[in-house]
Amino acid sequence: MLKPVKMSRVVVAGSKDVISPVVEKLHELRLLHIVNYNGSQPQFEMGKPIGKAKEHSEDLIKLRSVTRYLDLKNKAPDKTFSENQITSDMGNLINNVGADVTATYERITAIDAEIKTKQDQIKSLTPLAVLPLPLEAYYGYESLAVFVGTSATPVDADVARISPVNEIFTGSAKNATFVAVFVPVEKASEVSSALSEHGFSETSVPKLEGNVDAAIATLEGGIKSLEGEKAPLQKKLVDIKKQYEDQMLATDEYLSMQTHKTESPLRFAETANAFVIDGYVPADQFSRLKSELESAAGGKLEVQLLADKEAEDLVEKGEDIPSQMDNPSLVRPYELITRLFAIPEYKEFDPSLLIFVFFPIMFGMILGDIGYGIMILLILIGLKKKFRTPGWQQLINVVMIGSVWSIIFGVFFGEIFGPLGLWGRVMGQLSEHEIELAKEAGLYFGEGVFGALGRMGPLGIFPMDRLATNAVLLLIGTSIFIGVIHCSVGSILGILTELNYGEKKHAYFERLPVMLFQVFFCIALLGLIMGQSIMTYLGLIVVVVSVVMLVIGPEGPMGLAHVPSYISNLISYLRLLAIGLASVGLAYAANQLAFYVIMPMLSGGVENSAEFSILGIIVGIAVLFVVHFINLLLGILSPFMHPLRLHYVEMFTKFYSAHGGGVEYSPFGHVRRFLKA
Amino acid sequence: MVAVTDAGMMFGLIAVGAGLATGLAGIGAGVGEQGIGAAVVGVVAEEPGFLGKGLFLMLLPERLIIFGLAVSLILMFAWTPNFGIVP
Repeated sequence: MLKPVKMSRVVVAGSKDVISPVVEKLHELRLLHIVNYNGSQPQFEMGKPIGKAKEHSEDLIKLRSVTRYLDLKNKAPDKTFSENQITSDMGNLINNVGADVTATYERITAIDAEIKTKQDQIKSLTPLAVLPLPLEAYYGYESLAVFVGTSATPVDADVARISPVNEIFTGSAKNATFVAVFVPVEKASEVSSALSEHGFSETSVPKLEGNVDAAIATLEGGIKSLEGEKAPLQKKLVDIKKQYEDQMLATDEYLSMQTHKTESPLRFAETANAFVIDGYVPADQFSRLKSELESAAGGKLEVQLLADKEAEDLVEKGEDIPSQMDNPSLVRPYELITRLFAIPEYKEFDPSLLIFVFFPIMFGMILGDIGYGIMILLILIGLKKKFRTPGWQQLINVVMIGSVWSIIFGVFFGEIFGPLGLWGRVMGQLSEHEIELAKEAGLYFGEGVFGALGRMGPLGIFPMDRLATNAVLLLIGTSIFIGVIHCSVGSILGILTELNYGEKKHAYFERLPVMLFQVFFCIALLGLIMGQSIMTYLGLIVVVVSVVMLVIGPEGPMGLAHVPSYISNLISYLRLLAIGLASVGLAYAANQLAFYVIMPMLSGGVENSAEFSILGIIVGIAVLFVVHFINLLLGILSPFMHPLRLHYVEMFTKFYSAHGGGVEYSPFGHVRRFLKA
Repeated sequence: MVAVTDAGMMFGLIAVGAGLATGLAGIGAGVGEQGIGAAVVGVVAEEPGFLGKGLFLMLLPERLIIFGLAVSLILMFAWTPNFGIVP
């Protein structure tokens, strides 16, 4: 569980006659992680595609363009198809339905373009309505130059000075003056520069005929009829999408599988008559792979296991052994968190199991509220039905397990939407006298009470109120304690990993001192707090010894530079308490605000909850709802991010990914989704 | 002049100090994180696989807040001057 699956290095060699059935079988088995042939050996060359590789990829390209027009997204399958169904319908789907979709889509695009042109024309026509000219008057002259546009100041005088022969029309629109200037062609450039001095900006006049208003009306009519044509076309695409969605995705899957298969020989080594496939297979699956492949090839094939020595030589030359994480189904969602950081290398530990142990406890300890826990659980159950892709499912499962822990911690902390003490109006509170007694004994952990259940746990500290002084001190201790355990587990794995790589010096003089330092530093602190000087001295002696070990170790005196970070690693675990306090503080404030401020205030200052006015209760509940909702959102985010950081920064740095990430085991084959097996 | 030995005043000053410790540390961590965060977003846009390591880098300066918080907690709860004013 803590280690990736054991892999065996295999070589499959066979006659080219059987390459198709072998590829088919490999694809179906989904066992062999193929190592691509890099062309380094002169006696072998790279393989060539087999079968109808070209046709399949062409079909795939056509299909993909159709699915893009239809805006098809990958989704969870509603129905599945057999391969025969797909192959027999494929011609119709790609050629007839596809051509129809393409034509429709292109027509819609053309309509959109036409509407856009007409709208632009209307835009430039509208201001021309202030000029008393029909549209055909603006164009078609050989000896006249026409300027139409807006100008900031009157242009008549200047134009007349340059060209005595002219015709000028002026009209004023809402916020600009419109002019149309007609002058002989030979004066055009002079007039143009004179106009620009008046802030003239030219408008292009569409080449239409008749009255401006009539032209606009015609254009608007045109747009309307085009839109009328577009609507049924769009509906047609939606209908086609609805009808063929699953089939198209299934065909896409089928074609992808086929191209994958037919192009696979590109990854093999080939001679004139034979092919060789290198790869890794999980050690316990080797015999199955061997017998299945050999029976598929009818004796024209040899599957061999490489000896460990040979395999190690290949690894030294730079071949990566793929790692497949192997965890029980309950732990599997946590592989998401591991994967987000890096895939474990083959010789490293897979930390998913540790994340499964620590992450939900940290999540629960931070959130620690029965009400929020149940709310998150309910929301997630709803989301789980909606988001059905594997990534989302994993994420949802991770938070779900966390929220169960938050309910458990909620019982210890006595919180239901905030500390129970506040709800004491409903649940009953400790009497003043009892609180005083508890305070005197130094055992006051807040006034939360489970009604008739009373207090539980050692010294009756549960349910405690996280905002009470003693509870905070207790939680500081607990947080640091979790930190020490968490870091120590990381360090132990670090030692084992270094030993796996054969780095004894790193294991004993780099990883081990860190653990000794952190554990005994805390023991010394504990001794100080408890007043046990023996513990303090023992702790300090080991701390000094560990520092000496670090200096002797591979890093030498530079190793000392890391010492402060070992302490800060531990202090970092205080966030388990701190984020929790922030969340409970907000909840407390919300309840206090609603029950002790808003409700009494809007009820005319009464103290007794039975006399609250309806308005007070409604406003109070609205405030409660809003603040608790915000707190709930934060309550999902921070308890997720902070334990994530504690794992990535505080724990993983001690053992994980020190040699760079690994390669994920991805066997040749395909997981069928829309296709029946 | 206000007597410094006034217990309530003393506790008030402790609380202000505790607040400043966490608040200023938070500002510092924020300043540290802004550059890293921007860079990480840029890298993740190019290479989504970097998200985990990017988060790791981005969350590093956060320990600063925790230091401030530790000081606040010590001020508020662990270190109490001998005035008999345990809150």
